[in-house]
Amino acid sequence: MIEVSNLRKEFSLSKQQQKELNTTAKKAIAVNGISFTCQPGRIFSLLGPNGAGKTTTMRMLSTIFKPSSGSIKICGIDVSEDPREARKKIGFLTGSTGLYARLTPNELIQYFADLYDIPKNVCAQRKEKLYTLLDMHDFQGKRIGKLSTGMKQKVSICRTMIHDPEVVVFDEPTSGLDVITAENIIKLIRDCKNEGKTVIFSSHIMSEVDLLCDDIAIIHKGNLLHSGTMVDFRQNMQAPNLTAEFIRIVNETKTENA
Amino acid sequence: MIFTIFKKELKDTLRDRRTLIMMLVIPVLIFPIILTLFVSVSESFSKEAAEKTVEIGIVGEPENYVFQQLELLPENLGKKSITVYKDTTELKAAIKLDSAQIGIFPSPDFEQSMRMKKPAGVTVFFNATDIGMKDRAEAYLETIESIAKQERYMALDINAEQIKPLNIQYSNVASSKEMIGKLAGGFLPYIFIAFGFIGCMYPAIDLFTGEKERGTIETLLTTPVARWQILFGKMGVVVLSGLLAATFALLGLFLSIQVFDIVKDPQILNVVHGVLSPSFIIMLYALLFPLTVFFAGLMIPIAVYAKSFKEAQSIITPMNIIVVLPAMVGFFPGIELNAITACIPIVNIVLSTKELIAGTLDIGLLGLSFAVMVSIAVLAVVISYKRFDKETNIVL
Repeated sequence: MIEVSNLRKEFSLSKQQQKELNTTAKKAIAVNGISFTCQPGRIFSLLGPNGAGKTTTMRMLSTIFKPSSGSIKICGIDVSEDPREARKKIGFLTGSTGLYARLTPNELIQYFADLYDIPKNVCAQRKEKLYTLLDMHDFQGKRIGKLSTGMKQKVSICRTMIHDPEVVVFDEPTSGLDVITAENIIKLIRDCKNEGKTVIFSSHIMSEVDLLCDDIAIIHKGNLLHSGTMVDFRQNMQAPNLTAEFIRIVNETKTENA
Repeated sequence: MIFTIFKKELKDTLRDRRTLIMMLVIPVLIFPIILTLFVSVSESFSKEAAEKTVEIGIVGEPENYVFQQLELLPENLGKKSITVYKDTTELKAAIKLDSAQIGIFPSPDFEQSMRMKKPAGVTVFFNATDIGMKDRAEAYLETIESIAKQERYMALDINAEQIKPLNIQYSNVASSKEMIGKLAGGFLPYIFIAFGFIGCMYPAIDLFTGEKERGTIETLLTTPVARWQILFGKMGVVVLSGLLAATFALLGLFLSIQVFDIVKDPQILNVVHGVLSPSFIIMLYALLFPLTVFFAGLMIPIAVYAKSFKEAQSIITPMNIIVVLPAMVGFFPGIELNAITACIPIVNIVLSTKELIAGTLDIGLLGLSFAVMVSIAVLAVVISYKRFDKETNIVL
C-alpha cells in the first residue's frame, strides 16, 4: 500500500535555470501538496501532461528524491524515516531505464539480487520462474549491449521483480517502446495486480490508462486536479471520450489560473 | 554491499576497451617504447657524430701554424677535411650554407704574436643550431693550444711542473645510487603520478557520469543500499584502476630492463635492481594509495556534476596538467624534501620517492608527507560524498 499525504517538492533554481525559465523565483515547485492512496491488488494511474510532476512524484515514492514536506508510507514504512527498509518493498521501472550493457542478463540479475540481499536458493527459484515467464533462457548469457530493445525490456522487468516487491512503481514504462515490446509491460502490470501487489504507474497516454487502471489521479503543474476510481471518472465524464475529458480537466485549470 | 558494488563495477570496467587501453596497454608499453626510442636515437646520434667528416674552413696561408697543426691532429678527434677560404665573408657564407661546419680565422698578426710569444688571436665561426660543432672546434683548438704551450715551455726552458702550483683532485663521496636517485629519481614518481591520474580518469567518468548518462543510476538508487556504500564501492574501483595503471607502468619499466634488455648502463642497472626491493615497493605504494584516493576524490565530484561523458572529460583532462605540473618538481635537482615541501601535496610524493630511491629518506618527513596526503584524501572523499548525496546531481 502507498499512502501519500501533502507531498511537496521544491527545487532551488540556479541563476542559469532562472534565466532559462525567465523567472526571478529562487525555487520551483515541482509537486505541490498532493495526497492519494494506492491499494494492494489495484492499479493506480498518475496521469498528467509533460512537466506535470509525475516523474518527481515517482522519484519521491521510490526514495530517489527526498520530499520537501509531507509524507510517503510504503507498506506502513515512512520513507523519510527508514528509506532503506522502504526500498526493499519497492520495484522501480521507467521507460528510460538503462541497463549495464557490458554485463549479461545473468550477471545483472545476480547483482540486483545481491543488492537486495536475496538468499541464493530463493534467487535461483525466482530467476527460473521469471526467465520461463519472460522467455529469457536463450539470451541469459549474452551481453546486454547486444540484445534487442524487446529483450532488454524483459531484462528490466526481471530486474524489477527479482526481489518480489510488494509495491511496483512504473514511471512512464512504455515510453519509447513499440507496441509489441510495450505489451510485455502491460502484461507485467496486470500480473502484479493479480498477485495482489500495489501498482502505481505514471503516463500521459489515456488509452493505456483506460486499459489498465482501477484508480486514477490527474496531476498538472504539481497540483492534483482529480483523484478517484476509474469507474467514477467514466461515469462523471463531461467530454465524449477519456482523452477529451483529460484535456478538458487540464484546460479548465488553465482557465481558472488565468 | 560495498564489495558487491565494487565487484560488479570492476567487472564492468575491465570489459571497457577504452579503460583497458588507458589502464593496461599504454602503461605497459610506455617504458619499453620510450626507452627503445631514447636509446636507439641517442646511439644513432653519437654514431653519426663520430663518423661525420667535419668540413673546416680556414682563412690564411697553408703555412699558417693553426693550419699545419690542424692537419696533424689525429683521427680520434673526429674525421675532418680542411678548405681554404679567401676571406671571412666567404667563410661565414659557407658555414651558413653548411658547406663548412667550423670556420677558423687566425688574426693577421698571428704569426708575429707566436714568434714574440704573445697570445695569438683565433676567431672561430660556427652555427649554434648545428649541435656539437662548437664542442668539436674547442677540442681541436685546445689540443693545438696544448701543443703550442709545450713548445713555448721548451723554448723558454721552463719545467711545466714548476708553474703548476696546485694539484687538485675531486673525489665524489656520494654513491651512484644516491646520485642517480637525486638527479634522475624524479622521473619515476612523475610517471606514477601521470599514470595514476590517467588510470583514475576513465573509470571515474564511466562509473559516475556514464551511469547517469546511460540511465542506470536511478535503479541503483532504489535498491536498499546506502549512498555512501555505492560511492565507496565505485570509488574503490577508481582507486584500484589508478594504482593498476601505475603498477603496469612499473611492470613496463621492469620488462624494459629485465626482459627486453634495453638499458645497458651497469650503474643505472645496479640502482634499478636496488630500487626494486620489497621495502621500496611497499613504501612507494603507501604513498601512492592516498594520492590515488585524492585523485579519485578530485574527479568524482566533477563526474557526478557533469551531465555527459564529454562534459566530464573536458573538465577533468585539463586538470591533468595542473596535477602533473607539481610532479615536475622532481626533475629539479636542487629541491629537497623538508618540513615545507612535505606539506605540499603531490610535490611531497615526488620528493619522498626521490629520497627513497637515493636511500636518504628521513622517516619523520615521510610520515609528514603521508599524513598530509591522507588528510587531503579524506577531504576529497568527504567532498565526493557531499556531491554524490545531492539528489539533483545524480539524476539527469
